[in-house]
Amino acid sequence: MLKEFLQDYRPLQGAPDELMTADGRVRPVWRAFMDRLAQIKPEEMVLRMSRGDQYLRDAGVFYRRYEENEASTRDWPLSHMPVLIDHAEWEEIAAGLGERADLLEAVLRDVYGENTLVDQGLLPAALIGANSEWLRPLVGVEPASGHFLHFLAFDIGRGPRGDWWVLGDRTQAPSGAGFALENRMATSRVYSGLYDNTDVTRLAGFFRMFRDSLMDLRGDDNSRVGILTPGPLNDTYFEHAYIARYLGFMLLEGEDLAVDKGQLMVRTVNGLQPVSVLWRRLDASWTDPLELNEGSRLGTPGLLRAVRNGNVTMVNALGAGIMETRALLAFMPRLSQALHDRPLRIPNIATWWCGGSEERNHVARFADTMTLSRAFSTAPEADHDDTAFADLSAPELAQLLESRGSELVAQERVRLSTAPAFVNGRLQPRPMSLRVFLARTEQGWAVMPGGFARIGGGHHPDRLSMQSGGQVADVWVVGGNTSDAETMLPKGTGRFTRKQQTALPSRAADNLYWLGRYVERSEHLMRVLRAYHARLAESADDDAPLLKMMRSYLARYGVDTAKPPQAALLPNLNAANACAGQVSDRFSVDGSAALAALRQAVSALPADLNSGDDTARALSTLLHQISGFSGLVHDNMYRFTGWRFLSLGRAIERAGNGGHSLAEFLAPKKPYGALDLILEIGDSAMTHRRRYSVGTNRASIVDLLLLDNQNPRAFSYQIDLIKEHLKRMPGAETSGRLSPLRRDVLRLHTDLALLTAEAVDHRLLSGLSGRVDALSDHLTQTFLR
Amino acid sequence: MQYAIRMEIAYDYDHPAAFSRQVLRLLPADLIGEQQVTMAQLTSTPRPEEWFTGTDFFGNRWDEVAYTAPHETLIFKIDARVTRLTPRSFLDVSPRLPDLAREIAGNRSLDPISPHHFLGRSPRIALYPSIAAYARTAATYTATCFEAVRALSEALHRDMTFDANATTADTSALEAFENRHGVCQDFTHVMITGLRSLGIPAGYVSGFLRTVPPKGKPRLEGADAMHAWVRAWCGYEMGWIEIDPTNNMLAGSDHIVIGRGRDYADVAPVRGVMRSSGEHTSRQSVDVVPLF
Repeated sequence: MLKEFLQDYRPLQGAPDELMTADGRVRPVWRAFMDRLAQIKPEEMVLRMSRGDQYLRDAGVFYRRYEENEASTRDWPLSHMPVLIDHAEWEEIAAGLGERADLLEAVLRDVYGENTLVDQGLLPAALIGANSEWLRPLVGVEPASGHFLHFLAFDIGRGPRGDWWVLGDRTQAPSGAGFALENRMATSRVYSGLYDNTDVTRLAGFFRMFRDSLMDLRGDDNSRVGILTPGPLNDTYFEHAYIARYLGFMLLEGEDLAVDKGQLMVRTVNGLQPVSVLWRRLDASWTDPLELNEGSRLGTPGLLRAVRNGNVTMVNALGAGIMETRALLAFMPRLSQALHDRPLRIPNIATWWCGGSEERNHVARFADTMTLSRAFSTAPEADHDDTAFADLSAPELAQLLESRGSELVAQERVRLSTAPAFVNGRLQPRPMSLRVFLARTEQGWAVMPGGFARIGGGHHPDRLSMQSGGQVADVWVVGGNTSDAETMLPKGTGRFTRKQQTALPSRAADNLYWLGRYVERSEHLMRVLRAYHARLAESADDDAPLLKMMRSYLARYGVDTAKPPQAALLPNLNAANACAGQVSDRFSVDGSAALAALRQAVSALPADLNSGDDTARALSTLLHQISGFSGLVHDNMYRFTGWRFLSLGRAIERAGNGGHSLAEFLAPKKPYGALDLILEIGDSAMTHRRRYSVGTNRASIVDLLLLDNQNPRAFSYQIDLIKEHLKRMPGAETSGRLSPLRRDVLRLHTDLALLTAEAVDHRLLSGLSGRVDALSDHLTQTFLR
Repeated sequence: MQYAIRMEIAYDYDHPAAFSRQVLRLLPADLIGEQQVTMAQLTSTPRPEEWFTGTDFFGNRWDEVAYTAPHETLIFKIDARVTRLTPRSFLDVSPRLPDLAREIAGNRSLDPISPHHFLGRSPRIALYPSIAAYARTAATYTATCFEAVRALSEALHRDMTFDANATTADTSALEAFENRHGVCQDFTHVMITGLRSLGIPAGYVSGFLRTVPPKGKPRLEGADAMHAWVRAWCGYEMGWIEIDPTNNMLAGSDHIVIGRGRDYADVAPVRGVMRSSGEHTSRQSVDVVPLF
């Protein structure tokens, strides 16, 4: 069976294969898994793979791809075949990389401290002095935790003789740990039944250890751990949001943070709260525009003040990115000898920095066995931009090395091992490298058992990157385990503890508030537009007074009824989607998906949809969909502070729209049909029939849509809702007195409670929306600044 | 020569700035053997809620100020007395360019005055082929590194026009060079770019220039604002020299140093970030008067 299954699989010449020995035998670690895999019928395999893909789509896993002038999101390129590594071999890798992490820490300490390595000639001064990642403001600054490195990654590959090589050091803000987790989730779905029966080490234990280590770094229990992200435009933002949710840390952008009297704080709806550990996913030079890159809009002015004061631990320390410099690989062997008196346990890929004349001569002589690239580049090995150096003639190369040697680095051209990947349903060998993650714990370096593998798109070993068509595969460390499945959830036997509720950052609150408003505004516009098109269909005269009134009402929202409805709806839904994208760590995955689907449905409306009946019908369908979204969000979301802002946004928008429509459609010289219209827009026609024995009249409508606090569409009802929310918000009372915002709401509430329908005049109706606007401004000033 | 220096920098905001934080490098430096500060005072209106003073990597004093109350204007005032010593006269003992490269390669230091900080790119400097070619042409008939420095200063002074309104603090060296005009900052950035492309370590000096010229001498360009000039490393024996390409002269007793760095970004007089929705305008006045 297995023989048949692998009959086309041939390891490539000159490179070892993970699955098979050169003479075609399956390696022991793969044996049991492959036997079971061979028994799965091709049709079933297709189903299994789509189950994994479906998981990734449902979870919203994607990455951004940069093309000229625009970024687009792509499906996560999962290779459905995991890479299996024996646990004994893995332990050797882990030990070797742990030693290397200690070495990098020691080098960092020196280049930001005494600089003895440069003094002794072990490191060229030019490589540090001209390095944009050597951050001068951090020279001489001791990290608060006592360590520069807390979380790092290594790219490693297996060379032709079967031993592992380090291809690159990732010390700045390595990405991929969250993706590794998602790969695992998806791959275990593809191999349900097989995964559980293969002795694979779980990943959750690693993350739990790392989370606990970060919590311990805080020093005091009242401060917080945050994850600093460049924001939703970053190519790995999904991962930042995912890992923040998974670990239970706040996801922060630079503008969420402020430095107050030398202490790093997060702006929350409860005011400034201390942050003492920041796991940054942002390159160091962008973190503080005051002392680092002055053009950065992503940073926090004064952050370096807090770092120097020693009350915030950066993971990793600002400036640690210098260890990613490719040319530094050339010096690691002798640095290991000098600093730790031992050779590298795992060697790195042979590298020559062309700043020295001996190296230049060597490189010129053996140029055809090397790749040439930028010395200071920190891009992963697989993303080498060496096209500019390809096809240089010997004299051109010599000239280049002579004039720009110190900017260049040469590396041995290596053939990495291959691993199996599905190509049109059959397994084929493809070049592979691994990304391995390490986290500092009290017991030393913890190594994530697995991580992920990059799989090349073709045979060419240089084409591993995702940007150039490669894939990523899950890595299974197999054997040596007896432990139960580990997950991040508390153990069943342990004491049940609720996780501490973190304060809501003001920016997240602002986005949730506007998300609520934009969705509600979209719904309101759908109702008014539907009512308009339904009447247009029945009316012989396009200039009937009622239609004219509706057009002028819609014009206040910037809506032109001559254009198809999507022109009015898309800007609002785009804005809602943008808000949801900003808070994807706090907003449910289902909610985001429903919102995206709604936007998609609106943009798919035909551009030439007929005015009148067709449009009205299309809008009815959309209204069902948007109600579905609201139900999903308001019924399923936990009642945390964020939900209150979302809900407040909806209530304030609904109250404002109610105020507008009451003022407009109950105006003294209203045309015939305005009363029924406002009932329809207010979705209260049925209620009206049930509640009032009379037909519609002005008083019954004022009663139902303005004063009735049992009607969820009534103005009063919204004010009550706002009042209730504010009661449960931070800072609701100061020394026993209501906050000014709450006093405002109470005044409005009381005014309404004392009114009778008959006493409501037009002047009062015209003033309603203005009072709501004032509430919104007040709310923004209180919480969202 | 002793000077009384007064300066005022004011910012007016369209909308009150809710919060701002600035790093200031405005006070003259105390430099042993070069200039001596007898009095130096910096004031800010409004008063900042936070005020820290420190020394940066290159040894420049800096002040960090933060304001948390909304403010519509912000004014910094400098009042200082500085004695500028007469620079030593020197012989050109600088190496030829290829020998300079060897001296640099043999240098194992990252001290603030090490040449390694001042080659290649820095925040405001990139190496443009057009400026590199211009520098090569200017230095064609020079033998030593110092001669090359003088030749480039002379060429830029000849070919570029001083124009106080043509550029802003954010204009790149390339843009200023292509239009052959600018202020002292542009002259300095273009010259640094040229020197570095020749392999000569070069940095940026910010400072003041005597406002009123001595009797019978012309008024120098750039004297009514803060000034900037170039420093270049001419080998171990000669060390760092300072030259003002805007006026094509070696920096002398009329030049008062505030700070030294790789380029403008390292020594910007005011570097700040504010949370404000609108635009702002700024005004600056400088008075550098010799006392005796």
